Amino acid sequence: MAEAAAAPQHAHVASASGEADAAQRVKPPKLHPLIRFILIRIGISIILIWGVTVVTFLLTNLVPTDPVAAILGDRAAADPEIVAQTREKLGLDQPLLVQYFTYLGNLLQGDLGVSNQTRTPVLASIGQVFPASIELGIGAILISVILGLLLGLLSALKQNSLVDHAIRTLSLIGISAPTFWIATVAYFVFFFKLRVVPGAGRLDPWITPPPKVTGLYTVDSLLAGQMATFSNALGHLVLPSCVLALFTVGLLTRFSRSSVLDIIRLDYVTAAKAKGLPARTVVFKYIFRGALVPIITVVGLAFGSLLSGAVLTETVFAWNGLGQYAYRGATTLDLPVIMGVGLVIGIVYILVNFIVDLIYGFVDPRVRVR
Amino acid sequence: MRRLSRNLVAICSTLALTAGLAACGSGSDEAGGAGDTLVAETAFNLKTIDPHRQFEFTGSTIDNAVYQTALEFADGDLTKPTDGLCSFEMSDDDKEMTLTLKDEDATFSNGDPVTADDIVFSFKRLQGIKGNPSFFLDGVKVKKVDDKTVSLTSSEPNPALPYILPNSSIGIVNSKVVKKNEGTTDENDGAEQFLNENSQGSGPYKVEKYDADSQVVLTANEHYNGPEPKYKRVVLRNVSAETQLTDIQSGQAQVAFDLNSDQAKQIDDSMGKISSLPSTRSLYIFNNTDEKIGGPAADPNFRKAVMAAIDYDKLIDLAGKGSQRMASLVPNEFVGAVAKDEAPERDLAKAKKLLKKAGYDGEKVPFHYSSDQAVNGVDLAQLAETLQAQLKEADINLDLKPAPSSTQLDGFRSAKQPMGIGTWGADFPDPTNYNVFIPGGSVAERVNWNDDPKLEKLADEAAKAKGDARDAAYAKLFKATTDTAVWIPLVQPVSTVAVGSSITKFVSNADVSFDFAKAE
Repeated sequence: MAEAAAAPQHAHVASASGEADAAQRVKPPKLHPLIRFILIRIGISIILIWGVTVVTFLLTNLVPTDPVAAILGDRAAADPEIVAQTREKLGLDQPLLVQYFTYLGNLLQGDLGVSNQTRTPVLASIGQVFPASIELGIGAILISVILGLLLGLLSALKQNSLVDHAIRTLSLIGISAPTFWIATVAYFVFFFKLRVVPGAGRLDPWITPPPKVTGLYTVDSLLAGQMATFSNALGHLVLPSCVLALFTVGLLTRFSRSSVLDIIRLDYVTAAKAKGLPARTVVFKYIFRGALVPIITVVGLAFGSLLSGAVLTETVFAWNGLGQYAYRGATTLDLPVIMGVGLVIGIVYILVNFIVDLIYGFVDPRVRVR
Repeated sequence: MRRLSRNLVAICSTLALTAGLAACGSGSDEAGGAGDTLVAETAFNLKTIDPHRQFEFTGSTIDNAVYQTALEFADGDLTKPTDGLCSFEMSDDDKEMTLTLKDEDATFSNGDPVTADDIVFSFKRLQGIKGNPSFFLDGVKVKKVDDKTVSLTSSEPNPALPYILPNSSIGIVNSKVVKKNEGTTDENDGAEQFLNENSQGSGPYKVEKYDADSQVVLTANEHYNGPEPKYKRVVLRNVSAETQLTDIQSGQAQVAFDLNSDQAKQIDDSMGKISSLPSTRSLYIFNNTDEKIGGPAADPNFRKAVMAAIDYDKLIDLAGKGSQRMASLVPNEFVGAVAKDEAPERDLAKAKKLLKKAGYDGEKVPFHYSSDQAVNGVDLAQLAETLQAQLKEADINLDLKPAPSSTQLDGFRSAKQPMGIGTWGADFPDPTNYNVFIPGGSVAERVNWNDDPKLEKLADEAAKAKGDARDAAYAKLFKATTDTAVWIPLVQPVSTVAVGSSITKFVSNADVSFDFAKAE
């Protein structure tokens, strides 16, 4: 058996090397690992987005209640004829599978449907509220990243000192304090008592928003050269961004602290220190850079969660963003809105993950080879 | 490390600079001042501002400022409809109403005069598009008699019609423009979106910007033939009640519509005033009369025991200053209301005796309510928990079944809930609006209450009554309805409008909760 087994193995090895040579001549050149990696990730993202459409559609349609009554209101819903007409008009009399394919077909043409409550196209409304959430999300993520990374780094470098304990306590408060409470207290203290920030909303009510280019008031007002409007918009952005950032700051502080502590113990850091490199170089070039890679994931996911989880902050600060729009859709059983927002948030998460994967691929070649 | 500290200082300075910039950012040279803008805040309940489709508080508040109506309630007196764009006359049999165009100088926001054709078109559109408020003119034939006269004919006596026409859902629109923008008087009407963005009324304001999610901006209608409003611009913003309180206290907003009684107490004279108006809402317990569904609640003795076990004074405390006891579901300010001193009283001994008679032995009764809804500041979840505790003292065990309002309403509408909290807001201030609670009425069907000869006879008598006798006849009908305890009236809450101290003069009444055009 041993001989019999050995013989073909040799034969295979011999023939394989010959075939490999031939294949190298015939086959097109292999895709660059990075391009292959990107294509695979795009494929996975498309499948995931399709999955999101299935899940949002099924979940919203399995709610044990009739949206027609919510649309028509008490009076009109009392008339069975009007109810039947409305069901037919909305396609709700069709089997679920037919409804899904109609939904998917419309989706592929960029049609997210029309809000049952306001009769406004969902895509147009999302286009209106999305920039508000993006503006808030960017503000919050900037604050989170700057403060979170610095505090985490400081905490790790001063491990077990008073500074470390203070930062860890603060980050714990940031993670565990309820956002709604923090938002209300912050609004009361900084707007009502101290008057250091303006009131709720994206602009003072008597100010006309700048002409829409990006939908981000800070950017659009700058583009239009309206400095007073820019300053007003920026002022309105500060407090809600800080409140929204609080959780992520806590999270990032803890994560970057532990990440930095892991790196500090590695041999190359010890070697760098032993070589007598300046502390600044060791901290930023060796420790911080090494710790940064796993932190990218947290930042990416945090951005996604900031967009989807800003409902309470947006409510307190009358910030008309995606969170408020989603809340309104959910409480009025506005199925097209719920599905539209669900899809958009799903796509944001998938895109963010995709970008994070790409950054990984660029930063760490081992990832794209795997 | 020294570099790290320098970086930290730099970042902190940037943040401080940003905050500083923010602090001085409330003034704006590009946008004009805040002086002629009135900022009002409410938690939006807004589907549309097309007058013939809107049926919610926010839409109605806006349309009150934008559209004039054929009739009005002068000074908020809901018992006496008066002339609006038209004067009116009812025939002796209450079947025919004649409207005569009175305000001949009235013009729409584009300068077109208001004509009898506009009135006819508006009424017919309301009826034909079959929206939520279409029922207002059910069974009414609308006809133009001449350039100044319109007749409304009903097949049955319709004494409620003068009370119906002041509703902002029956606002008069510019028919020429609406027709040009897909407006019709049938279900093919396609003018809703146009009317949301381009109001076509003759009221003191017109719509500048409509965003159903965040804010609606109104500007003064230069063609309005009444007194020019002091505030040329009104911004109605979608803001939570908690933020409304801070905003009114700080002067950020001048009007707040949704403060509950505890929040209202926090406004002192330096910040503003509280205008408390009797609400046109009723809070009640419903009991399903079908034994298979209602269980114990189907038994009249059990229902009366529940009625005797409730501590109504504590419910008044819960609903806040200005809320009232109710002896029926008809609000106290309406024709046909039962006098408050006839309202049910707490009597635990009586309740226990009735329970014995009903054979109730403490089994749990499912009690449904909307857990996410507050009616004029009364949180229904809190109300349900209070009722559970009160009834427990009489050994009645409620099994609380909270649900989001959309789901809860579904269950109630399908007549499958044994017991729970119901709410009703008057569509128009006339007792006939409460006929839906009489056996055979659409709400009575939700508790499977289909016949009661005694009540049907009283309803017939009330329908035939005229003048002062009408008030007494309806009061008798609704007192008898309360006696069955199918509906147990709980409380008439209070409608609170907080008005900031920068407003020195304003009109606030049960008809228009705050009149933007008259604020100074």
